[in-house]
Amino acid sequence: MDVVKVDGIELHVDGDGFLQDPQLWTEAVAAEFARLDGTGELGPKHWEIIRFIRGYWQESDMAPTVRSLCKQCGLRLQEIYSLFPGGPARGACRIAGLPKPDGCV
Amino acid sequence: MDNLIYLDNSATSFPKPQVVYDFMKEFYQSHGVSPGRSGFDKALEAEEVVHSTRKMLTGLFNGTDPNHLTFCYNATEALNRIILGTLSRGDHAVSSNIEHNSVLRPLNHLQRDGGVEVTRVPFDSRGYVDPGDVKKALRKNTKLVIINHSSNIIGTVQPVGEIGRICREAGVPFAVDASQSAGAIPIDVQDMCIDMLAFTGHKCLMGPTGIGGAYFGEDVPVRGTVFGGTGVRSANPFHLEEFPYRMEAGTLNTVGIAGLHAGVKWILEQGMDRIHDSEMLLWDKLRRGCQEIDGVVTYCAEDTENQNPVLSLNVEGLVAGDVGTMLDVDHGIAARTGLQCAPLVHMQLGTDKIHGTVRFSVGPFNTSGHIDAAVGALREIASIGRK
Repeated sequence: MDVVKVDGIELHVDGDGFLQDPQLWTEAVAAEFARLDGTGELGPKHWEIIRFIRGYWQESDMAPTVRSLCKQCGLRLQEIYSLFPGGPARGACRIAGLPKPDGCV
Repeated sequence: MDNLIYLDNSATSFPKPQVVYDFMKEFYQSHGVSPGRSGFDKALEAEEVVHSTRKMLTGLFNGTDPNHLTFCYNATEALNRIILGTLSRGDHAVSSNIEHNSVLRPLNHLQRDGGVEVTRVPFDSRGYVDPGDVKKALRKNTKLVIINHSSNIIGTVQPVGEIGRICREAGVPFAVDASQSAGAIPIDVQDMCIDMLAFTGHKCLMGPTGIGGAYFGEDVPVRGTVFGGTGVRSANPFHLEEFPYRMEAGTLNTVGIAGLHAGVKWILEQGMDRIHDSEMLLWDKLRRGCQEIDGVVTYCAEDTENQNPVLSLNVEGLVAGDVGTMLDVDHGIAARTGLQCAPLVHMQLGTDKIHGTVRFSVGPFNTSGHIDAAVGALREIASIGRK
């Protein structure tokens, strides 16, 4: 298991860089994940997406569908990719501190 | 999304013919009783639908005895029953790299925990298993050859007749995973020397999920692996040996069988060849369209011969899962991405290292317009990948 250090705290991440304990997420963690995966500095649109994902997950214990994410944020999926090069799952959801989504990958 | 373009028919065919929905509802409302077992008229009428479905499928596969057509939950369960009911400690099995996890995993478990040896033969650069490789892999203790009929990733149709004849000559039971071929292309268990044939109801047979089964030839040395109620000879302390009971236990999924009955009937009315030809025309259009796009790589898709309408591809610069998400969200097209539960295929293609492929699979309700939309969407997505 890999470790990422944020503000002096060691955070465990899985092999794909997803936070092992989503409760340990902070905005500083998001900023560090974004720096590490090449997303770069997070702007207002990034934060809008991250907060929506985070809020949805806290309420329903699951990630929002990509379709609902696009609808809620008023963006085409390609625009999400231009903001988060890793895409909605490996990019935005990971930066928002969600666990790795299931899927036949 | 109401106007979704569905190109994931290898996962499950969708939509089903309207007659399937209608017959399931009608049957379950009027005959949703335990089939046969209670002896009253309605139970016997329900049993008649079960038995006529056995007969229809036996006819479709050119089997000889409808009682050897057994039902269970799906092809995975049927394959488990075949594999676990045939192999014992010290036995050897031959299979291939083209298999789905429904064959790979039971064999892997037996190899790891059950003292069974397994040889897996590769497929060639066009996606076909060489029957000669199967022949070379046979040993004195080989007790099962099990081969996928049609790949769920690249759609290639394996020469099961040739392999079957090799097995018959060697006296080795031969099983075929027909998950992607039953209802799509002709299967003749006698001519192809198939001893055990596993099928699922919810793909090309146009039935609902939750119903599948297997056909067993005469004198096939398969043990039952599930034991319990059969509805007949209840005083017997052990499960019955005769078919279909040997491979069935508990109340059958009668509403699923009813849906399967309606699905198979629809296929026979439409003509299996006619449906397949029409799907392959669309597949060929899709293949050609995709291959013309810069940055799109297709796998084992060279011509329409010995092929089912399944196309796997990747877009340079993009992960398959992301392409699938873009197809879905920006273009309203449903496709499957990832390893599609057949990891050895991807390992042999080298696509396991790039998170698998995007898979399009054509069904009877797809149109030329759907293919135009898919190619157009892919062209747009590929232009992003190249940036």
